[in-house]
Amino acid sequence: MDAEAQESFREFVAGRSSALLKTAVLLTGGDRHAAEDLLQNALVKAVGRWHRIDEPEAYVRQILYRQQISRWRLKWRRREVVVAEPPEGGQAPDTAGAAETRMVLRTALSRLTARQRTVLVLRYFEDLPEAEVARILGCSVGTVRSTTHRSLARLRELAPELAAVGPRPQRPSRDFSPVEVRS
Amino acid sequence: MNVEELVRETLRDQADGQPPAPPGLADRVLGAHRRRRNRRLASVAAATAAVVAIAVGVPLLDSATGTDARPSGALDSGGVRAHPDQSPPRDRIGAGDTVLAAYYTAELQQRTDERGVAARTYWLLDPRTGKYKKDARWSFVTVAPGLKTAAVLERNLPAHRIGLLDLATGEVERWIPVRHGVGGLAFSYDGTRLLATTYGENPDLRVKERLHDEDGRTTWMWGVRFGDSSRSGFYDLDVASGAGSWSPVAPDRDLNPRADFAYSRNARSVYAQYIGGRDGLQQFYDLEGHKTVPPADEKFLRSDVPARLSPSGRLAALGLTKEVAGNPGKSYSSVRDPRTGKEITKVRGGHLLAWADDKHLIAWERVTSLEEEYRPRLVLVTIGSDEVVPLSGVREPDKPGALRESWQPVFARR
Repeated sequence: MDAEAQESFREFVAGRSSALLKTAVLLTGGDRHAAEDLLQNALVKAVGRWHRIDEPEAYVRQILYRQQISRWRLKWRRREVVVAEPPEGGQAPDTAGAAETRMVLRTALSRLTARQRTVLVLRYFEDLPEAEVARILGCSVGTVRSTTHRSLARLRELAPELAAVGPRPQRPSRDFSPVEVRS
Repeated sequence: MNVEELVRETLRDQADGQPPAPPGLADRVLGAHRRRRNRRLASVAAATAAVVAIAVGVPLLDSATGTDARPSGALDSGGVRAHPDQSPPRDRIGAGDTVLAAYYTAELQQRTDERGVAARTYWLLDPRTGKYKKDARWSFVTVAPGLKTAAVLERNLPAHRIGLLDLATGEVERWIPVRHGVGGLAFSYDGTRLLATTYGENPDLRVKERLHDEDGRTTWMWGVRFGDSSRSGFYDLDVASGAGSWSPVAPDRDLNPRADFAYSRNARSVYAQYIGGRDGLQQFYDLEGHKTVPPADEKFLRSDVPARLSPSGRLAALGLTKEVAGNPGKSYSSVRDPRTGKEITKVRGGHLLAWADDKHLIAWERVTSLEEEYRPRLVLVTIGSDEVVPLSGVREPDKPGALRESWQPVFARR
């Protein structure tokens, strides 16, 4: 790798690594150490072919997603995820209800399989259409759809508190009241 | 709000709470890439090379587990910033990946006839000007890797909130309230977690001690009340969210009043100094506050040698092991294999404070002969070399019975 390529790589890491790490943390279910490992390994893979990559960020992201799923396929030992509780007497930064729900959901997300979590991150964090998710993960649109459906169902099982949250609204709703579905 | 929207919001919230990527990532990746390529070329000679590599302090070809793979050798990532005429320092001092992020002095504030507090005053490195600037608001400061954020405690210890200070603006970005009073703070190696040691009373308490001179005269001196710590436990906090839990720790060891906990390298356990038959003893605890065995690579470390493990984790900085007479005298400290405890080499320096990279350390080293009073300066030392590069001016010793203590360095990784 020549000096110019190294410089371009350093620039890329300086500019984009924090954003990439955010995605990696979500993919690992909040395990920062595993996320740093994941990102570093993805970057090591990318640096080997830096000359030939047109869109570095898209390329590194694709490695992140695929690597995370292949880790799961290989049944790598999943790290224990410690979900911290707020300190006693601490003030939650947000309104209590919303923060609590997010905390519950975060724990539930950490308990999904890597594949389930990856699909949810791609669909709801990256906001990618199903076809794009399918292309990135190398599977069919039907698989993306069914995995998304099963992942959300699993979240409801893991976090019964979500039962209070309504199903996908059938019409635009401005408030939080249950959606009425007419038969 | 439906479940999909809640998932979207939770993921964004979790992502927004993440601190930036650790410094030096590009270096680590390039180093790992280089070594993977070299490993393919060198696989036949790997075993032989590994032995040699240890002897000269070069990181081994590792198993690509994603651990710190920073290349050793040239100390060029941060260069050397030295001000050998400054004590205490005024302008940024640093070497390689390590920077003198702050320093403090301590001054006795008498509270009653027989009790006082050794109150610290900090000078923090202003990243914009590169100068150390007095910030008298804090009684305790520790600086996170990256030099952007410091964790601070206000004047009265133990404190009931922890501040996260933006070093560029000098403003506290966020307060983390705590029920149990905190007296000491330490970041994890990656800077994502903060360990806060809790105490029942001020850990910097000093008491007036009566000394009897040989001729029967009575004199008084301010000292530390040994073996009487009010330490109660620790908070293990996530820096991004401020969330965490408190773990009580039973006081079953002889402790100095200040016996702060610090994380092990992988932050899966914590340790603190205790007082026993020799210096630098350390007791490890799991994150629930129960005693536990040390990690395999930290069991030979000393709690009173702050440098501890090298960036690659393959070398351990230990204590003073040899002194050679002369003017000035020369001190040497031991560098060992962290897993076996066997000495690999000796390196210049009387007190190893921080690793600058895998071959260089920042240390206190004397400028006086062995017969004279010990007066040290900060120096950069190199494994495999007798050369010493002065980084700061000479620190004057504390005067006996003085109420003011000399400056103490606080280091952080860039």
